[in-house]
Amino acid sequence: MIATLVEGKDLWQTVVASVVAGIGVTFAFSVAIWGAGQFIELSRNDRPLGAAVAAIVASFALTCVAAAVIGGIVVMTHK
Amino acid sequence: MSSDLILVIVVATALAFDFTNGFHDTANVVATSISTGAARPSVAIGFAAALNFVGAFISISVAATVAKDVVDAEVITPTIVFAGLIGAIAWNLVTWYFGLPSSSSHALIGGVVGSAVAAVGFDAVISEGLIGKVLIPAVVAPILAFLVAGIAIGIAYRVVGHQRPGIVTRGYRYGQVVSGGLLALAHGTNDAQKTMGVITLALIAGGKLGAEADPPTWVIFASATAIALGTYSGGWRIIKTTGTKIIKMDAAQGFSAQGAGAAVILASTHFGFPLSTTHVINGGVMGSGAAKRLSAVRWGVAGNIFVAWLLTLPAAASIGALTYGFTRIFGTGALGPVLVTLMALSLVAAAFARRAREGAPVTAAGG
Repeated sequence: MIATLVEGKDLWQTVVASVVAGIGVTFAFSVAIWGAGQFIELSRNDRPLGAAVAAIVASFALTCVAAAVIGGIVVMTHK
Repeated sequence: MSSDLILVIVVATALAFDFTNGFHDTANVVATSISTGAARPSVAIGFAAALNFVGAFISISVAATVAKDVVDAEVITPTIVFAGLIGAIAWNLVTWYFGLPSSSSHALIGGVVGSAVAAVGFDAVISEGLIGKVLIPAVVAPILAFLVAGIAIGIAYRVVGHQRPGIVTRGYRYGQVVSGGLLALAHGTNDAQKTMGVITLALIAGGKLGAEADPPTWVIFASATAIALGTYSGGWRIIKTTGTKIIKMDAAQGFSAQGAGAAVILASTHFGFPLSTTHVINGGVMGSGAAKRLSAVRWGVAGNIFVAWLLTLPAAASIGALTYGFTRIFGTGALGPVLVTLMALSLVAAAFARRAREGAPVTAAGG
């Protein structure tokens, strides 16, 4: 009954997209903060290689967040 | 002449509803940013107003749902739409008065359904659309936001748990500027469309547009302006409830609640579900609090909000139906809507005056 009333596929896709985007963005942004924190810590401790790796991880995570935000705007504009 | 006057009154009332929608739902967009110190209140609200305006131009899929999928456009008259709008505005103002973040979207849909039933009977309601596009998403959306925000904040705490608090707080505050902006954009996209949908419905009912017409450009522009102005005016009572009364929020919780809210709203907008941004963001706030510990959520406040949510559709529908009945006492002309408008304006002025005398709990200056 409910399956005929709700556009089940659309609702399911809404759920999946929300879970992936909501959790994914928070995870990626948290990794960016972690990377930034590690970069500062390792730079202070004079460990340039570790600091460089942390900076790369933070940059990659921030890029993922930016891509997700742009993706969200694209989703809105294409409806 | 009389029908054109009714149409003008309906469009003005719809824009007034849009203003109250922005005013009432500002809290959804800015409360978490303000309460975590991510942005100053005046900056957060100005930013949200601008992005609400922009968001209104992005999509019309939700407007189409409101205009065509919930009530039968063939039997709707401008007076029915007017009565529905009065039901929605009245419920928005009642919940604003008590500082409760209820759904403007459901108030609108409830009001229009109630007045349509009073006028034509239950045949006017497209039950499949009402259940499938409104009621079931209304249940799913806040639960989804609750779960997404809860899982997200759990992961966030694990990832940044051993970092210095200073950089973590600063980082999430910067993040909130982006997540809050996306939420404001999504809010404009979702909520301004509901007014566009209703004005379109009135124009179809008044014979100014074809049955399958999309909202004209002037309707989109006027709706965007009204919601942005309402947002800029800010509903401080509800901002306080959402931002500080449900949970005491840190920046990471604010970010995860906004991120979950934006994700759910954007996804549902994409698929044309006119869900409540209020339900979504409050679900996200509760989820981010409950994930830390269940007792972190003030369940008494949450209970009041749930009751307001449950009452929204029937209360707005009842007011819409009563308003329609009242207007019909004066016949089918413009006299009924004119009298109702005058009475509504008097009541609104009285409510604002009383609230002003009691004093607002939070101000733009005092934050």
